[in-house]
Amino acid sequence: MRKNNCEIIRRELDELMLDETSSPAAVEHLRECAACREFHQKQTKLRQIVGGLGTVAAPPDFDFRLRARLANEASSATFHLTSTYWSFARRGFAVAAVLIVFAIGIALVRNVMNRPSEIAVKEQPAVKPPTPTPVETQKPAVNPQDFSAAVPENSPQKIKKERSAQMTAKVRRPAVAVDFSSQRAEVINGSVAASTVFPIDASLQSLKFSLDDGRGNARTISVPTITFGSQRVLQGGNQFAPKGVW
Amino acid sequence: MTVRTLIRVTLVGALCCGVATAQTPSPPPAKKPAPPVKVGRTTEKLPAAPQVVTIVHRLNGLKMFRLLARSEEQVQAIAGLDAAFNLLDDVHTNVIAGLAMDDGETIAAWLPEADVEFGPTIAEPQPPRPPKAPRALAGSFPQIGAGLLDGPDISVIGPDGKRLAAKYVGLDAVTGLSILKLADKNALTAAAIKDEPVNTGETVLVFGPEPATKARALLGGNFYVRMGAIEGRIQNVLTAPSGEVAKFKINSPRFSHANIGGVAINEAGETIGIVDGLEGSEASILPARLIRRAAQRVLEQQASVPRPWLGVQGEPVVDLKVEQILNHGWELKRAADLAGKHRGILLTSIVPGSPAAQASLRAGDVILKVDDNEIQNAEDFTWWLDQAGPSSSVQFTVARPDRLAEEPLDVKLSGLLDPAVSFRLRNRVAGNRSFSLIDQGIETIVLRPPVASQLGTTAGLLVVYVEPSTAAFEAGLRPGDVIQSIDGKPAARFKPMPQAASFTFEIVRKKEKLVVTVANPSTKK
Repeated sequence: MRKNNCEIIRRELDELMLDETSSPAAVEHLRECAACREFHQKQTKLRQIVGGLGTVAAPPDFDFRLRARLANEASSATFHLTSTYWSFARRGFAVAAVLIVFAIGIALVRNVMNRPSEIAVKEQPAVKPPTPTPVETQKPAVNPQDFSAAVPENSPQKIKKERSAQMTAKVRRPAVAVDFSSQRAEVINGSVAASTVFPIDASLQSLKFSLDDGRGNARTISVPTITFGSQRVLQGGNQFAPKGVW
Repeated sequence: MTVRTLIRVTLVGALCCGVATAQTPSPPPAKKPAPPVKVGRTTEKLPAAPQVVTIVHRLNGLKMFRLLARSEEQVQAIAGLDAAFNLLDDVHTNVIAGLAMDDGETIAAWLPEADVEFGPTIAEPQPPRPPKAPRALAGSFPQIGAGLLDGPDISVIGPDGKRLAAKYVGLDAVTGLSILKLADKNALTAAAIKDEPVNTGETVLVFGPEPATKARALLGGNFYVRMGAIEGRIQNVLTAPSGEVAKFKINSPRFSHANIGGVAINEAGETIGIVDGLEGSEASILPARLIRRAAQRVLEQQASVPRPWLGVQGEPVVDLKVEQILNHGWELKRAADLAGKHRGILLTSIVPGSPAAQASLRAGDVILKVDDNEIQNAEDFTWWLDQAGPSSSVQFTVARPDRLAEEPLDVKLSGLLDPAVSFRLRNRVAGNRSFSLIDQGIETIVLRPPVASQLGTTAGLLVVYVEPSTAAFEAGLRPGDVIQSIDGKPAARFKPMPQAASFTFEIVRKKEKLVVTVANPSTKK
C-alpha cells in the first residue's frame, strides 16, 4: 500500500512544474517518507540545473539546413518500403550488402597497394617538368596580341591561370568534417535540362569565427564553404542597389 | 534465420570496413581533376543553354575579413577563429551562372562578392602609370604572399564541364556585373541575345549552377555541380523614365536567392537577361541590352567602371509624411505642398567633401529634377544619375526650405564602386575624426590577442585592404600586415599631431617586425 502511495506521489512530483506547489497529500507524504523526500530533492535540483542552462540559439543556417533535410527526406520518402515488400527485399539487401563489403574490401586493398608507389614519387627529388602539362588537353588558341601583353610570363595572373588549371594542387583547409549546411534544398527536379556534372574545388570545412561587438557581446559566425547564386556570405545588403544612397 | 545472421555478419563487416577507411590517411590529392561525369537526360527536354557558363569565385581568409569589415555586422574585433585558419587559404567559394555574350569571348556575371576585390573609397578611373617600388621594403624584407595581392580568384567552366582560361576585366558598378574575357575566342558557341521586346506571359527558363548532391555523396571529396533551370513566366515589364525597358519581372514559386545571377533564356533559346534581384517569388531581370551596355563600358576602360557618386543620403518625398518633411526645416504650408506633389528626393545627410557638399547641397533640400527630367521616386533619380555617368556634370532643380523659388544647381558627379560601403565605413570612423585609417585608404579590423597569436603576431590591427593610389601603399603597407603601433602608440588609440609630416607604422609581416613610414597626405600638399 505504501509502495503504491509512493508511486502515485512520485508521479505527481514528476509532473510538477518548477514553480508549482505540490498537493497537500503529497506534502504530507513527503513529511513522512524519507525516500520520496530524497527523490523530490534530487528532481528539483536536476530541474533547476537544466532550467538554469539558458536558451541555446539555433545557428543562423538552421532554417536552411532543416529545409534541405526535409527536402531530401521528402524525396527519399517515395522509396520507403512497405512491410510486404520488405519481406521480399530482405534477401536482396543481404546479397547487396555482401557485395558492398567485398567492393569496399577490394578498394581498400588497392588503396594500400598503391600507397608505396605514391610515397616513392614523393621521395624523388622535386624536379619540375620543363613545361607544365595543362589539365585540359585542348590548348586554347590565344591571340598573343590580346593576352601576352595583359598576362606576362610569371605574372600573378599567369600563375593564377595555371593555378586554376591545376586546381587540385591548391592548398585547402583540412577536411576535418564535411559541412552540408551550405547546400540549398533542391528546387529543381524534373525540369533540369540535359546537364554535365563537374567537380568544384572548394574547401570542405566551414569557417567559424567569433566577433566582439564592443559592448561585451560575442557571437559566432559560420561562413558556409560554398554558396550558389547571389547568396551573400555576410549581412551587407545588396551592394549594387543601395537604397537611399547616391 | 540464416538471412538474419547473414545481415548481421554483413553489417559487422561493413562497420569494420568503415572504421578502417576512416582511419586510413587520405591519399594525396589526385594529380588530375576528376573527369566530367555525364548524368542521364531527363525525359522533359528543354532548350540547351550553350551561352550559360559556371563561374567559380573563391575568397581566401583575408578577403573574408575584408568582407567582414565592410559588412553590416557589428564588429569591434575578431575574438576567436578556427584553429586551422590561414589568411591565404580559400575559405569560401561562390558558384554562379555567367552569360557568354554573342561575341563568344565576353562573359557577364553577377558575382555577389565582386566588390571585395576592390577598394570602396576611391574609384575614379586612373590612367595607367608605371608601378612604383615600395620605399620601405628592402630586399631583405619578407615579401607579401602572392595570394594577398592577386586579383579575383575566378574560374570559368563551360557548359560541357571544361575549364576555360579567362581574365577578369572589371566590375560595372551601375549594374553590378563582372565582365570577364575568355582567352580562346572559339571556346564557346555564340548564342543569340534578344534585346527587345519581351512579352508579358512569355515562358522563361532561368539557368544557374546547382549542387549535384547525390553525385557528391557517391564520389566523395569535391563538390559536384551541374547546370539546372527553373521555369518562370514574365509578369510585367518596367520601363525607365526614358521609355526603354529597365527591368522585367518573372514569377515562379520555386525561386530562391540561389537563382539571383541566373541567366534567363526564352523558349527559342535566346538570352533575355540576368536575374539581379528577388522579392518573394518574383525575380527581377536585367535586360540583355543593359548587360551589353555594361560590358561595353568595362571593355572600353579595360577596368572597373564606378557608378556616379553624389555623396548624399535621402528619401523620396512620395514615401514621406508632412511631419517628416517638417523635421528638416520646412514650413508647414510648403511642406504640405511638397508632399502633395509627390515628387523629388529629400536629402537627409551629405558626405563632407563629396560632390554634393562642393555644390552646396544641404540636408533638407529636395532635388526635383535632373537635367529637366522630373524625379518621381528613387528609381528615377538613380536612373538619371546612371545615365549621366561618373565624372559628368548635371544640373539639379532644387527646392530649399529657406528659399521660396526653386533653384538650378550645377553638380559635378564623382564615381565610386560601392557608395553604400563607403557610407558605412565613414559612419564607423565618425567618432574619431582627427585621424582615421580609412581616410588614408587603409581598411583594418581589430584582432584580439588569441586570434593575433594564431596569425603569428600579438594584438593589433589587421590590414585587410590598402588603396593602391595612397601614400600608405606607396610606403609599402600591404593587406595581411598587422599594425601594432603608430608613432609608438597602440594603433587603436592613436591620436596624431595634426601637422605631422609622416606617421611611423610598426607592423608585423610574416612574424617579422617592420617599420613603414607613411607621409601625411594632409601636409603633403
